[in-house]
Amino acid sequence: MPRTTTVECPGCPPLRAITFDSLGLIKVVEARGERGGVPSVVERWGDPDASKCVLAASIDDSKHDPLLVVARKNGLIEIINSLNGDLHVSIPNVGDAGAQLEDDGIVGLHLFKRQRQESLSRSCTLLTCSTKGNASMRSIEVSNPAESTSVDSIKSWNVCSSGTVLCSKVDGNEKYALFGGKGVEVNVWDLEMCTKIWTAKAPPKNSLGIFTPTWFTSATFLSTDDHRKFVAGTNSHQVRLYDTSAQRRPVMSFDFRETPIKAIAEEPEGYNIYIGNGSGDLASVDIRTGKLLGCFLGKCSGSIRSIARHPTLPVIASCGLDSYLRFWDIKTRQLLSAVFMKQHLLEVVFDSNFDDKVAHAAADVVLVQEPQNMDEIQGDETETEPVKRKKTPKVKDECKKRASKENEESKKMKSKKKSKRVKAESDD
Amino acid sequence: MGVKRKKSETEELVEEGKSNDKNIESSYKKKREILPSMIKNKEKRSIVHAKMKQEKKLEKRKKLKARDANEKRALELGEEPPPRAIPRTIENTRELDETVCRPDDEELFAGNDADEFSSVLKQERTPKILMTTCRYNSTRGPAFIKELQAVIPNAHYFKRGTYDLKKIVDYANKKDFTSIIVVHTNRREPDALLMIGLPNGPTAHFKLSKLVLRKEIKNHGNPTGHKPELVLNNFTTRLGHRIGRLIQSLFPQDPEFRGRRVATFHNQRDFIFFRHHRYIFESKESKGSDSKVKKVKDAKGDKISQERVIARLQECGPRFTLKLISLQHGTFDTKGGEFEWVHKPEMDTSRRRFFL
Repeated sequence: MPRTTTVECPGCPPLRAITFDSLGLIKVVEARGERGGVPSVVERWGDPDASKCVLAASIDDSKHDPLLVVARKNGLIEIINSLNGDLHVSIPNVGDAGAQLEDDGIVGLHLFKRQRQESLSRSCTLLTCSTKGNASMRSIEVSNPAESTSVDSIKSWNVCSSGTVLCSKVDGNEKYALFGGKGVEVNVWDLEMCTKIWTAKAPPKNSLGIFTPTWFTSATFLSTDDHRKFVAGTNSHQVRLYDTSAQRRPVMSFDFRETPIKAIAEEPEGYNIYIGNGSGDLASVDIRTGKLLGCFLGKCSGSIRSIARHPTLPVIASCGLDSYLRFWDIKTRQLLSAVFMKQHLLEVVFDSNFDDKVAHAAADVVLVQEPQNMDEIQGDETETEPVKRKKTPKVKDECKKRASKENEESKKMKSKKKSKRVKAESDD
Repeated sequence: MGVKRKKSETEELVEEGKSNDKNIESSYKKKREILPSMIKNKEKRSIVHAKMKQEKKLEKRKKLKARDANEKRALELGEEPPPRAIPRTIENTRELDETVCRPDDEELFAGNDADEFSSVLKQERTPKILMTTCRYNSTRGPAFIKELQAVIPNAHYFKRGTYDLKKIVDYANKKDFTSIIVVHTNRREPDALLMIGLPNGPTAHFKLSKLVLRKEIKNHGNPTGHKPELVLNNFTTRLGHRIGRLIQSLFPQDPEFRGRRVATFHNQRDFIFFRHHRYIFESKESKGSDSKVKKVKDAKGDKISQERVIARLQECGPRFTLKLISLQHGTFDTKGGEFEWVHKPEMDTSRRRFFL
């Protein structure tokens, strides 16, 4: 059979994703258009500089004044406006000991969602965790970078005495955090009290009496409102489900392929998890049974470093060392599109407020009567965005549109499947 | 067999019943379009095939002659000869690849400055290579290592013994080596090559094939001890660029041109061909038909010296072909390693798609 198929990508629903790469660049990828928009790099923030390599990032995509936190290799933590890339605050990551930059990079970073009062006072709270296990929580006054920034309070503690922390995660209600790593069993901390409430226990030796050393590489909480269940991936390609209310050993564990699990993401309303490993395999698994639902196939050739689930649309994004950002459909597990980003990507996050902007843009188009001039719209949109944040009256319309679009998509899928089947038959 | 024959017979009967007139027509067509592969008798098939081949050859020759004649006539008339058609090859019609490096890409150069090889390529560190083999090694393996050592300056061979590769990496890091090359042999024939950049460079795993040692090359030369020049051809994409830099970091960056020695890594359709040559520039008295033309020219203009300089090559071996299997992030680690690129069967969507 001649291998001459070209894999066509159906394109993405309108979305906005932000990626972070090894040269410290932050790139914004947007897909526009009602159906099948091709995502492309819209903006690039920062200059290429290897010392500013991004180690961790987190987003607080609230409707009002969304913020982005980036931890860099040179020990700076930067708070950035996620709409236009303005640098708000840049603070050095210095805990108790003075010089701890080079060998103690930040692995875990979480920006807490702000309450209304807090957002009025323009302060935000951060949780950082370094490889040596120095976790600290600090609240920072967000103001212009010219003015002096004040770090209000630092609560810091040590997660582990030895070993290196490789993953940390904060649960949906932002009251608990988990940490794990090489030589560090997964442990859960109460963030208000700063106390360790639970530690995992290593699984017993196997039938040959061989003990696999602890080496967690990724972890995530299963659902937003339950902090008791979480999933962790290990370096020995094992995925483990823990239930803190049940036992200290994993409730369930299964193997996935043969390279370390590098990224895990959960489905917020459901039982699926998405796992990505060191050789670029991405799969979704039903965590109730541990059964593999299917793999995401699409020429993904490099290690997957980060998986992000879109808060509303049925889309996940994955990125990694092959320097492609890929968008996948959850239901069909089909590649929606891939964007080449030139550098090794380390992190991807979604900006969930982008739909509103599209509505804005659409309204603009209707007003101006220039449907083809996308660039201009884009341009003035980016200029006026921070100011113009009205409530959109078009939400209903949009919902309808989305619904109809989804219908269309599903129809498409069906037809495609059919055609595939026909093909297969003809091949036979 | 009997059953089969019966079936075919019945089919024939049915066909005959259907249409007699058409049958004649179709058989006529069949005779015209008959392909050698459809003939079941081998002798007959080979005869037909040979005949067809001969016909094709003649046709081609005729075509070429016609073209040459056309060109000649055009030249005589003082016209522009018709442009020669460019043959379509797989490389020509390569699928569009967005990862191909562009010279105006500032991120590429910033990335180059920051990558693992930059210290060697900027001549801050001199390349020092540790060479070793797999655990069992005999005949062709050591011979290949010996020749590879002649190609790559400052390469030190260490017996593998029973050491783990990870321990060897640690040792080499301590001793300030910049790369490790591991030659893997299977059934006394080298079949894989592992290049590890140190201290935290990537690990490239190549398949090695078509190995021809120096001794087996006719009229081979013997290389001198000078630092060779390096030619890297066709490493176009981001991945190819990285592989190219990895290979470049094995060689010293200041070649001794006195030695007139070239090592070539030529990438074509994702296969990397290695050749090792000595070259010499020779000035030769031109003669024969060429000189006649020149004499005419001489009469017109000044006396141009009748010498022309040609470069002559002599291959020194070894000669081998590499194909990239995987590129791993960090040093060798089979269990916990992260891959920057692995070949997967699903990536082979087209024969016109290349990765390097």
